[in-house]
Amino acid sequence: MLHYITINIDGADIKTPKGVSVLDTAIEYGICIPHLCHVPGLSDIGACRLCIVEQITNSHSKITASCTLSVQDGMVIRSNTDKVRKLRHNIAELLIAKAPNSRAIQDIAVRCGVKRVRYPFRNENCVLCGRCVRACSELWHANALGFIGRGKERHVERPLNIRQEFCKNCGYCIQLCPMTITPCDGPIKPGKEYLCGNCESQLIIAEETSEKCVWCELGKGFNCARYSQC
Amino acid sequence: MPRLSTREDLELMEKRILHDMKKINKTLIVCGGTGCRASRSQGVIEALNKELLEHKMDSKIHLRVTGCHGFCEQGPIVVIEPDNTFYCHVKPEDAHDIVIKTLLNDEIINKILYTDPVSGEKICKEEEIPFYHMQDRQLLYQNHKVNPLSIEDYISIGGFSALSRVINNMSPEEIIHEIKVSGLRGRGGGGFPTGRKWKECREAPSDEKYIICNADEGDPGAYMDRCLLEGNPYLVLEGMMIGAYATGAQKGYIYVRNEYPLAVKHARHAVQRARKLGLLGENVFGSSFTFDVDVARGGGAFVCGESTALMASLEGKVGEPRPKDVHTVIDGLWHKPTTLNNVETWANIPSIILKGAKWFASKGTKGSKGTKIIALTGRIKNTGLVEVAMGTTINSVVFGIGGGAIDGKSIKAVQTGGPSGGCLPVDKFNLPIDFDVLYEAGSMIGSGGVVVMDESSCMVDVAKYFLEFLQDESCGMCTPCNLGIDRMLEIVTDITEGHGTPAQLNLLEELADTVNQTSLCGLGKTAANPVLSTLNYFRKEYEEHINNKKCPACVCKTLIEYFIDSEKCTGCSACMHVCIHEAISGNKKEVHIIDPVLCQKCGICKSECKFEAIRVK
Repeated sequence: MLHYITINIDGADIKTPKGVSVLDTAIEYGICIPHLCHVPGLSDIGACRLCIVEQITNSHSKITASCTLSVQDGMVIRSNTDKVRKLRHNIAELLIAKAPNSRAIQDIAVRCGVKRVRYPFRNENCVLCGRCVRACSELWHANALGFIGRGKERHVERPLNIRQEFCKNCGYCIQLCPMTITPCDGPIKPGKEYLCGNCESQLIIAEETSEKCVWCELGKGFNCARYSQC
Repeated sequence: MPRLSTREDLELMEKRILHDMKKINKTLIVCGGTGCRASRSQGVIEALNKELLEHKMDSKIHLRVTGCHGFCEQGPIVVIEPDNTFYCHVKPEDAHDIVIKTLLNDEIINKILYTDPVSGEKICKEEEIPFYHMQDRQLLYQNHKVNPLSIEDYISIGGFSALSRVINNMSPEEIIHEIKVSGLRGRGGGGFPTGRKWKECREAPSDEKYIICNADEGDPGAYMDRCLLEGNPYLVLEGMMIGAYATGAQKGYIYVRNEYPLAVKHARHAVQRARKLGLLGENVFGSSFTFDVDVARGGGAFVCGESTALMASLEGKVGEPRPKDVHTVIDGLWHKPTTLNNVETWANIPSIILKGAKWFASKGTKGSKGTKIIALTGRIKNTGLVEVAMGTTINSVVFGIGGGAIDGKSIKAVQTGGPSGGCLPVDKFNLPIDFDVLYEAGSMIGSGGVVVMDESSCMVDVAKYFLEFLQDESCGMCTPCNLGIDRMLEIVTDITEGHGTPAQLNLLEELADTVNQTSLCGLGKTAANPVLSTLNYFRKEYEEHINNKKCPACVCKTLIEYFIDSEKCTGCSACMHVCIHEAISGNKKEVHIIDPVLCQKCGICKSECKFEAIRVK
């Protein structure tokens, strides 16, 4: 039998089974917490930091990622304060400035309210979310992909740089990669990067209902966990 | 050697060693730490040994090769007990004089005496040297007394008596209470109260618990952990044993970086000796306490100094941090309760047990107790390892012990706490060395590195240096740390190259704040401190770079220009010959000219010019 506990997210008392993460609970209850590296069914590493929330203990607030935070009885979480929104905006801005050539990341930028990118664009192909690596090792136990290097050298690579026999050709890495869906206007050429504004219909949703999940179109780009629940 | 199976065995052994030592009338202490080895103390040791043998004095005079004394820039150091005659910069050829003159005839050799750089006087005794006498050397002084390869030396100064006392007379709760009352806080940087950490680990339910000694010191310029572990590994080991007894752990690890070969060697040797004596293993001192230690070598990643990354590395995984929402005292190594403390924290434990928590708490300030070892480096007269009581002001460390600026320049700032710390300007030098005070000022004690900078340092360049370091050493896992540091570095590089804009300054501040708040581990959470503290205290320098395209300290290469002062130039052509870019032209005995297009601003000509005719603007 599941053991239920109560936590408070954005003022709402929510009953949730013990052992799940704050992010899962919030999404289940229709509270929108943008996320990228979280994939239902895979372990969470807290890499993208988009799902940050404020955890309040004894009127002391702490910023932490909600995907790696397990629920505890009486926990108080604020997912949509000005502070959280601003930090989330800054992280989304870092991501989009690095890899604008992805509809998923463009969508996340819209959802997090990025309207202008203050850094020079780069047109890189990986944001190190690690979805492919975890899917490969955890779902299929193939370990045909992994991270190599540290700091700016960190990248996803196959063992010894070649496709190994133990790769099962499942294609799950490609399916989960946020970079494989190009922006609606097609791939962005190097040097011509832009912040895609094509989701204007979604902009109002992003601004006015930033705290609720309204089944926005923006989540489809990166397989928002809410979509995978149904 | 017999096993020490009871407390009486230890006391007997101590008595026997002390009795044997009575035959010796003088002891030659030669520093064999990494610093002195680099200045060839090995040759001095061999020469002294040879001389002693030749004059048949090896039975009366004891030659003790010890760990670091802290005054590495004066190495190799030789101290002669009981008078504490202090010789520095000793060369192998001085060995003959030392043996004949000082040991046989009690003469002082002036040539190798220490000269105080402040007063210019020769000083004969160790304790009279200002660098030493202003310190409060509770941990470091033991380095003098112990040969790191001899457990007997450590026992002779009362070693392991704290362990025997806790095993025979104290319950784990009493130990934890004692540590709590002492107010000891983690010396690795975080400053977490050690007693509380032990208590949480003791109370965590588990049949298996671990103890870890974090010796993965990686801050640029800091080496106090290395010095302690290679100079007195038994002290650290005893601290760990007491910790294990208090928290209920059965297994401990010393995680030391492989770049510290001597520390690895000495720690391993210490563990083996302690095992042979029965101090490690089953039923220590005849009690039911069982504990063993292994030495694990780290690959040298800075991020592995972070507790969770260190544990991942110990488990054989990639050294990457994991979220710490559940503390490592509950979910640590192999998901078991683990107490991880820094080398210096462990080294403080035995004396707290022996001398009492009150003694420890009598030193220091309200929030920070005891002493702290500081690696004092930079543009000052005396550099080295310094141990002072908490609460000593930065002023007395920099100007008192450090002796003030060199080359008649004025001191501008100190950088404390390594890449996680910040820079404090001169008007903050009245602040005490205290965890909370420095944290509030935007810096931190960190592991204890203090780098003094004078007017020739550009604070934007300092921020850039630390960002480059952190970019290389970040594991790259989380977005704010990986991309955030990258972008901060991009902005700071823009500023040092003269393309900075005032808007970038605000962006830099906002980004730094984001990185600090949202990163996954301690490395990222403190990564922006160098930027934030320099922005806070030295904003004018940033603005000077941006608005006037000038580097006030003449460091940032794109913003400076070398030129020849026509009044001082004698036309000697020395600069012309050394310039590998052929940027200097001129006839002999006429004023030379630097071509700014060809000049690569390497500064070789400036250092070569004897007339100070080459200047920077």
